[in-house]
Amino acid sequence: MAMIEVEDLWKRYGPVQALRGISFEVERGVLTGFLGPNGAGKSTTLRILAGFLGASSGRVRVAGYDLSVERLEAARRIGYMPETSPLYPEMRIDEYLRFRAELKGVSRANRTAEVGRACELTRITNRRRMLIRHLSKGYRQRVGLADALLGRPPLLILDEPTVGFDPNQIQQVRTLLDDLRDDHTIFLSTHILSEVEATCEQAVVIHEGEVVASGSIDELRRRKRSGVLRLTLRCAGSKMHGDGALGAWLADREAIAEAERVDVDDELETWRVALGPGVEDTATESLVADLVARGVAIRAVEPVAVSLEQVFADLTGGTQGEA
Amino acid sequence: MSGFWPILKRELFALFVTPLAWVVITGFLFIQGLHFYLVMSHYAVSMELGADAGPMQLFFGQTVFLYLPLLLLCPVLTMRLFAEERRSGTIESLLTAPVSTPAVVFGKYLAVLVVYLAMWLPTLLYVKIVAGAGHLDGRVVAASYLAVLAVGAGYLAIGTMTSALTKSQLSAAIISAVTIIALFILGVGEYVLPEGSAKDLCAYVSVWSQMNDFSRGIVDSRRLWLDLTIIVVPLFVTVRAVEAWRQEL
Repeated sequence: MAMIEVEDLWKRYGPVQALRGISFEVERGVLTGFLGPNGAGKSTTLRILAGFLGASSGRVRVAGYDLSVERLEAARRIGYMPETSPLYPEMRIDEYLRFRAELKGVSRANRTAEVGRACELTRITNRRRMLIRHLSKGYRQRVGLADALLGRPPLLILDEPTVGFDPNQIQQVRTLLDDLRDDHTIFLSTHILSEVEATCEQAVVIHEGEVVASGSIDELRRRKRSGVLRLTLRCAGSKMHGDGALGAWLADREAIAEAERVDVDDELETWRVALGPGVEDTATESLVADLVARGVAIRAVEPVAVSLEQVFADLTGGTQGEA
Repeated sequence: MSGFWPILKRELFALFVTPLAWVVITGFLFIQGLHFYLVMSHYAVSMELGADAGPMQLFFGQTVFLYLPLLLLCPVLTMRLFAEERRSGTIESLLTAPVSTPAVVFGKYLAVLVVYLAMWLPTLLYVKIVAGAGHLDGRVVAASYLAVLAVGAGYLAIGTMTSALTKSQLSAAIISAVTIIALFILGVGEYVLPEGSAKDLCAYVSVWSQMNDFSRGIVDSRRLWLDLTIIVVPLFVTVRAVEAWRQEL
C-alpha cells in the first residue's frame, strides 16, 4: 500500500486555481522529491497532505487514512515541517520540543529520551536551553526538523528542508536524510534540482498546479539523455517504400530503442522514434541524413519527450537544457 | 479531546512567562484595591448598615469599579489566543499535530479562565478583612464569586471568539471590548427604557442587575443560563471558525 495517495486534487483560493487535478503516489520507504518552481503549488500540496488545509476536491490518503474522514489518525503518522518553521519565540528549545512531543502523544516516560534523540539527530543539543527568539534561521529550521522527528512518525513531510542553511549544513541535512530513510518514508519539497538528484530516489515535478513528470530519478535521468522524436515523412518513391521496410530499418539502428508508426495520412506517415539511453544528440542528425540519402522526404522532425532539466528549465523560465 | 492538556499548559506558560498575565493581574488588583479602599472608607464613616447593603454587596453589586477592569482586561487576556498564532504562522504546526479542534479551543480558553481566577484569588483577602470586622454571610460571598466567574467566563469566551475571527491582536481586543461593552450598555437600558419588551430584554441581559442580585445572595438560574449561553455560543463559533481556516488560507 502506498504511503501517500493523491487523486485528482484541486485547490482554489478565491479566483486562483492553485492545484489543477494533481495525482501521484509515494510508496512506503521511498525518499521522494517534490520539485517545482516557487508558486507551483508545492506548499499548498504539502499543507493539504499534512492536514492543515482542506482540498477543494479530490481524495488524499496518507498511511491508508482518508484525510477528509480520519485526519487525526493520519496526523499521528506524519512528521510535518512547515516551510517557515513557525515556533513560539518565548519558549526554550527543549521546552518547545517537550510540548510538541506531548502534543504528539509521546508518553511521559519516553519524552526526555525522544526529545534528546531529535536534538542529537539535528545537532541542536548544545543549544537546548536557548530561547527560540534568539535563534538564527538555520537553527530555527533545525528545531522544526527535530519537531518533525518526534514520535518517530512513519512519514516525514518536509517543506523546503534545506532553505536557510549554508552548504555545510545542507550536507549535514543530506546525511541526516540518508540515516532516516531506512525507517521513514520521506516526502520533501524543493525548487533545487540538484537537491533531488543528490538525495531522492523518486521525484514528482509540479508546475502551475499540475504534475508534469514523475518517476524514479534514474528514469528521469534516462529521459534526460535520450529523447523521443516525432518524424513526419513520405516514403513514396524511396528505397523504404513498402510495408514494414522503414520500421525494420529503424529498428535495426543502434541509436534507436523503439519506433512505431502512429499515424498515416494518405502518403504522409508520422513516426514516434525513441532514442536509446546514452545516445548523443547528433544521433538525430545522422538519422535524418541517412533517411534523406535513401530518398525519404522529411516534412518535420520534432522532439517529444522532455528531460528533467528541460522540464524544470521550462517551469522556472530558465534557459539551461537542450531544446 | 486529544491535545487538550499540553495546549492548556503551553498557553499558561505563554501567559505567565511573558508579562501579559502579570500586567493584567497587577492592573486589576490595583483598581480593585482602590475600589475596596473606597468601599471600606465609606462604611468607616457611615453608621447605618442595611440588611442587604453591607460592604460585600457594595463591592460586588453596586459600583462601576467592578466592571471597568473586567470590560477592558478580559479582551487583553484573550486577544493573542488565536490572532498571534495566525500572524506568526505557528497555527500551522499546531493544527497539523494530532489534536482535535475543540481541544485547541478549550485548552486555550481554559488557560485564560485560569488567569482570570488567579486574578480574583487575592481579593479573598478583602473578604477576610471584612469578615474580621463583623458578621459575614458566606452564602452571599459564594454567590458573588459565582456571578463574577460566570460573567467573566462569558467575556473571555467572546474574546476567544474575536481572537479567532481576526488576524491582529489589536483588532481582536478592540472588537471584543466593543462587544462586551455593548452588552453592558444594553443592560443599562433597563433603567432608561419605558415599560415594554425592550426593557424586559435589557433587564434580562443586564450584568448590573445580575451582580446586584447575586451580591445579595439571590442566585437566579435564568441569569446563569444566560451566562452559560454567552460562554457556549462564542466557543462553538470559535471551533467552527478554526475548522473553516482549513478551507482558506
